[in-house]
Amino acid sequence: MPKEIFVTGCGIVSALGAGKEATLTALRERRTGIAPVRYLKTAHTELPVGEVKMSNEEMMRALRIPEAAATTRTSLMGMLAAREALDHAQLRNKSGLRTALISGTTVGGMDKSEQYYLDFLENDTKNAYIATHDCGACTEMIADYFGVFSAVQTISTACSSAANAIMLGAMLIDSGRADAVVAGGCECITKFHLNGFNTLMILDRNLCKPFDAHRAGLNLGEGAAFLVLEAEDTLRRRSAAPLCRLAGYANTCDAYHQTASSPNGEGACLAMQAALRTANLRPKDVGYINAHGTGTENNDLCEGRAIQRAFGRCIPPVSSTKSFTGHTTSAAGGVEAVISLLALRHGFIPASLNFANPMPELAFTPATTDQPPTPLRHVLSNSFGFGGNETSLIFSTI
Amino acid sequence: MSTPNGIYLLAAKQISVQPPLTDEWMDAPIRYREPYVQAIDPDYKRYFAPNVARRLGKILKRAMLTARLVREASGVDNPDAIITGTGLGCIESTEAFLNALARGGEELLTPTHFMQSTHNTISSLIAIDAGCKGYNSTYAHKGISLECALADAFTQLECSRIQTALVGAHDEMTPTYFTLLKRTGYLGHAPGGFSGEVALSMMLAATRSKNALCRLRGVEMAYGPANSDAPRQALTRLLQRARCSPNEIDAVMTGLSGLPANDQVYARICPELLPNKNLLRYKHLFGEAYTAPGLGMYAAAVCLYRQRIPAHLFVDHKRGEQRGVGHILCYNQLEEKNHAFILLSPCGK
Amino acid sequence: MEKLILQLKQEIIKVLNLEEVAPADIADDAPLFGEGLGLDSIDALELIVLMEKIYGIKLKDPAQGREIFKSIRVMAEYIHANRAK
Repeated sequence: MPKEIFVTGCGIVSALGAGKEATLTALRERRTGIAPVRYLKTAHTELPVGEVKMSNEEMMRALRIPEAAATTRTSLMGMLAAREALDHAQLRNKSGLRTALISGTTVGGMDKSEQYYLDFLENDTKNAYIATHDCGACTEMIADYFGVFSAVQTISTACSSAANAIMLGAMLIDSGRADAVVAGGCECITKFHLNGFNTLMILDRNLCKPFDAHRAGLNLGEGAAFLVLEAEDTLRRRSAAPLCRLAGYANTCDAYHQTASSPNGEGACLAMQAALRTANLRPKDVGYINAHGTGTENNDLCEGRAIQRAFGRCIPPVSSTKSFTGHTTSAAGGVEAVISLLALRHGFIPASLNFANPMPELAFTPATTDQPPTPLRHVLSNSFGFGGNETSLIFSTI
Repeated sequence: MSTPNGIYLLAAKQISVQPPLTDEWMDAPIRYREPYVQAIDPDYKRYFAPNVARRLGKILKRAMLTARLVREASGVDNPDAIITGTGLGCIESTEAFLNALARGGEELLTPTHFMQSTHNTISSLIAIDAGCKGYNSTYAHKGISLECALADAFTQLECSRIQTALVGAHDEMTPTYFTLLKRTGYLGHAPGGFSGEVALSMMLAATRSKNALCRLRGVEMAYGPANSDAPRQALTRLLQRARCSPNEIDAVMTGLSGLPANDQVYARICPELLPNKNLLRYKHLFGEAYTAPGLGMYAAAVCLYRQRIPAHLFVDHKRGEQRGVGHILCYNQLEEKNHAFILLSPCGK
Repeated sequence: MEKLILQLKQEIIKVLNLEEVAPADIADDAPLFGEGLGLDSIDALELIVLMEKIYGIKLKDPAQGREIFKSIRVMAEYIHANRAK
């Protein structure tokens, strides 16, 4: 029998603001965080983005990190979110617990690498940022800021990285390899992947319209979010109060194409079905699906079909909160886990913004009202990555 | 769900600076004196149709070929999980896109290098090639990337969530990135070890096959910048879980590389943690890379399978070849922050 | 037109890394995608950049490519009619 996994804390930074409160308020007021480019130095000012509305310097001040320190935007956002999560779970101090940090990222310290690449090649002036480039370095900067972690790992499965970090957290607790796990992901916007997505011609020049017949691509976002996961015995030992359970999780592979999803959403369907199985739930038990819903032609069609196949006649309200945050790529699984948890705790359905025209291929339309038809007990969150790395998580009330 | 009787390494295939896809390094290792060495690639045209490989960078060709051959050698065509460790991912493609961006600006960039720049391209390409829709993940954490992947597979095999797993260790090194990493002190100037490349695919299973190389008894990692006792705690956990006494460890495969800053850590920790053990090394043959510990594990597995350790693997040069091999413990560390242990036994034990 | 067709074939072979394909192997009217050369959606994106880089033609919508990249001849005719350099 797998152990029950409890969520005892969470933290989030995104275009909607820093912290759970700001996130909840923006979701309930239907205020998107997507706006014209302000912080990233890019020529593509025509592309709306979901930036965290803080400069690196402001983040460093908020974290009391000396100005001269070599840091990256990804790790700074990660520290802010992890700090909130650890505070929430009251795990900031040495607890005697074996606490692991598992973070998902793909671009890691690319913001500095792209800024200083020619310096790297031509002179010796920015060497400190060579060492902050890779994904692992980004996670270690977060870990070292707190000094409470006895194990540190980094997952990089593109846009499902944070969801896989959360799943791995559950497996580490289940196998007794950790008492508590801080799991999620972080990723800042870089010119590197903004231009990468642009070459794939999947960026909308206007606000993204997930699950709309006239959707024209995604808006890139950035952010960080972490959950604190614990097993019941740890919870009891330190009399902590759980927020919800991580009831189901599954990782599958579409095994179809390096950037496109299979037409019938095979991998996505398998992930949702397997997550339901591990949670021991039926489709009708799920009260809300926080979709991957990027707003690209390919994703929304394939995911929509996959939802129809996995849920049959019991499709619950579905929405894509990427219409609020933009696509936070490697952080998305964490950002949307926190949003799913807020939905569960506060009993509302985060709306899908900018929807107007139903997709002719699908039998459902995204949720535009925030009232759930029945009280929410189980929420499913999808995160899919390039290469068909599909992960579904299910969060349940206690 | 029942606990399996053991986790076995059924087969392993490597492309590295030693002759590819063979164990020739056991008896006729190639020695290098230069600080930067690229892998010896086999003739991919013998294996792939031109249309299949035309878009793939080196790291992807190597990964796809070693994965295919290890599936064939193990008889496991469709593994339940594909898990990759890679420190830097597809750095050649990453660099190509970064270079185009830094020099050419944000217009006229092309998608191929970008879509191949993500670390998970390796695992997903293998899955596409093999048609595997099961668990698929990628770890990118410096010197413990491979051990993270291995621990994930081990844990899932142990609780019977999966029966088979294809675990890979993949890192390529470009001339430019070599220059950059030399400045950080991670890669050395000659003399003092050399930079290599790694492509290793291993098939693990919860049941033994006739030609299995060895048993995987456990994997443990520790993060220890703030805790000097972290390596000891991790080793104790590993041996306890595997029900193995320290006396039973025959030899320790270490990450000694020839680079003083690296080797000093082993010189301090090994005598304390593993007194009087025979120390082995592999980086003098395979070079340094974030996932080089995969090749250390592979070298140990071949020794266990053949029941001999060639003289050139011993740190103590005066020792000759050893016949008969019991448990081998692999210990690697990076910058004294990350420590990782892998315990291997002969199949019968 | 014949000159443009040959140049286009050489560029496509180079950009798409079509090892072991010679310009003569590509029939002017054969489909580039699916059967024929067997190109895919990523190649289409590479071709869009090629058109802009070499001929100064900018396609806004990848869907346009489906018509233009039907065969080498169709592509050459489109370039001939729309080229800016």
